[in-house]
Amino acid sequence: MKGILTVARLELTVRIRAGRWRWLLAGWFVVLVVFTALLRVALSNATGLDGDRGTVMYGGLQLFLLGLALLVMPALTAQSINGDRERGTLGVLQVTELSAFDIAAGKLLAAWGTACIFLLVSAPLVAWSMVEGGVPVIRVVTVTFVVALLLGVICAISLGLSALLSRGTTSSVLSYLCVFGLTVGTLILFGLVTAATTQTRVVHFSPPGNNVPAGCCNSTENVERTDLTWWLLAPNPFVVLADAAPVTTQQPPTCHNVTTGASTSTYCTYPAQNGVDPLGDISRSVRSLRAPPALAVGPNLSPRRGGLVWPYGLGFDVLLGGFMLTVATRRLRTPRRKLARGVRLA
Amino acid sequence: MVVNPVAEEPPTASPSSGDGVAASGVWRRFGAVEALRGVDFTARYGEVTGLVGPNGAGKTTLLLVLATLLMPDAGTVRIAGHDPVTETRAARTRLGWVPDVFGVYDNLTAREYLNFAGAAYGLGSRAAARAEELLSLSRLRDYADRPVHVLSRGQKQRLGFVRSLVHEPRVLLLDEPAAGLDPYSRVELRDILRRLAAQGAAVVVSSHVLSDLEQLADRVVFVDRGVTVGERRIDDMARAPGPRMWRLRALNQSELVTALDLHNYPHADPTPGGVDVELVSDEAAAGLIAGLVRDGVHVVSCAPLTGSLEATYLELTGEQG
Repeated sequence: MKGILTVARLELTVRIRAGRWRWLLAGWFVVLVVFTALLRVALSNATGLDGDRGTVMYGGLQLFLLGLALLVMPALTAQSINGDRERGTLGVLQVTELSAFDIAAGKLLAAWGTACIFLLVSAPLVAWSMVEGGVPVIRVVTVTFVVALLLGVICAISLGLSALLSRGTTSSVLSYLCVFGLTVGTLILFGLVTAATTQTRVVHFSPPGNNVPAGCCNSTENVERTDLTWWLLAPNPFVVLADAAPVTTQQPPTCHNVTTGASTSTYCTYPAQNGVDPLGDISRSVRSLRAPPALAVGPNLSPRRGGLVWPYGLGFDVLLGGFMLTVATRRLRTPRRKLARGVRLA
Repeated sequence: MVVNPVAEEPPTASPSSGDGVAASGVWRRFGAVEALRGVDFTARYGEVTGLVGPNGAGKTTLLLVLATLLMPDAGTVRIAGHDPVTETRAARTRLGWVPDVFGVYDNLTAREYLNFAGAAYGLGSRAAARAEELLSLSRLRDYADRPVHVLSRGQKQRLGFVRSLVHEPRVLLLDEPAAGLDPYSRVELRDILRRLAAQGAAVVVSSHVLSDLEQLADRVVFVDRGVTVGERRIDDMARAPGPRMWRLRALNQSELVTALDLHNYPHADPTPGGVDVELVSDEAAAGLIAGLVRDGVHVVSCAPLTGSLEATYLELTGEQG
């Protein structure tokens, strides 16, 4: 632990003194302020917004912040190991009593600490949206924690790539591709796989009366089996963020069992949503993906919504981050047997 | 030159525990390139051992193996009695390493850099005091609180060098330490390394600057194409028999030339730097000087044109085609 802190302190000191970092932080804050202010003005002009303005402001701000952070984090971390190697500072670190894990974890801790400073800068804007109302403290605490964890995962992925690849530009590009894969890639994959696995089912119905002609009363319909493909969407950071956010206020649904032949399914009526809630809306739509396909039943009856999505997504993301940290540690282990082509050790 | 065949033998195969560095039969391959093909190398405590060889001979690769960064494909290595592969940490606490090219963290001050190095070696509360000692040793006290990037190349080199001393290692490995140093700093580096050896450390220096090594090393190991081609003690080399070019200078050069011709010493055409004469031994040189003085020639200097180390180097590494 002492070794990790030694490395982290060094990395943070070096980072903080580098000038570009301060400009990046200042630019970050300005962009967030402009976004929040514009959102606030837009909301005061909006009509048909029954709920609290704060709910929309906070949700919008967090989604925007996560998107922006996903763009900034790779730039801060993607060259932390191969960059050190190119500058000739890695070898002298490796011959000290610091272990490979000390170096990898210390660098991750520093990168993550930097990410948390970026989060901290957004605090005044979070406070602003809380003042507008409709943002419970538990939601702010949970969302902040989840965003911090997600940014840590991105840092770990970038760190692992910077250990795997000898060129800083290659690892930067690949880090951005990973972010792209997690955000847009999961969406595309989910859409394509869902479309490819769409099933055609035959629905029988019995019309009243006894005079039923042959071949009557069957109709075919396409059913998307999102209950089998929802997990492809789970690692998406935006999905994790939105689904992990505790729901503001919600009346419980009224549910009852419907028996079709031998099987019994539960169907529920959900009360109309009170106002707009960006995070809650995303959460509801991804959870509904987990439910089995609906029968053609009444307009207000939909299958019971599926369970939570975020534990799977966050679990996968954290495991991925842990794996990349292991990769970085293995790559830093000396004495080295294999050496990538063109890599100078010292 | 007559070569004593016994001296050509590589050091004994079994590394003795009295050696700071003991490597025998070390092989290391990078893809198709065999960088080390059974190198033998020892460095004793209390001595400065030079590692000499042409570019690409495997010096840096050998130093990386000794510095616990590269795993040898075959062979045994002991650093202060510890195997760098299986007892990496024990070897590292006893080892200081100065690579040929290294960077420093530009945004740190010299003092912070040394403090960090102390922390990395687990010095804890002693790190700060040790940093002050090393700032004095490297004459960087005036720059202690300035960022490292304002230091000159030589000052950075000195900082990197004292960094390797932060944990008072028993074994010190330096790869081309004199590169980029001004003459004054070279002399100073030589003095520090001699002092460390006198205090009992095993100091290993790879260098191309043979004249520096001649005044610094106690012993020199010659490496070429991944194998040890010979080793010599500097004092033995200076006494080694064999013809060598000497350069003579006198107040009046024509007087000198006349005297040489008179005594039938074959010599090269006189140049402003002096007259070059081939002599077979130190005794022959002493005899010539005595003769010239008797003849009334005002001899100013008489010195071997190439160092004995350079002659040995060329002999050991140059002949293979």
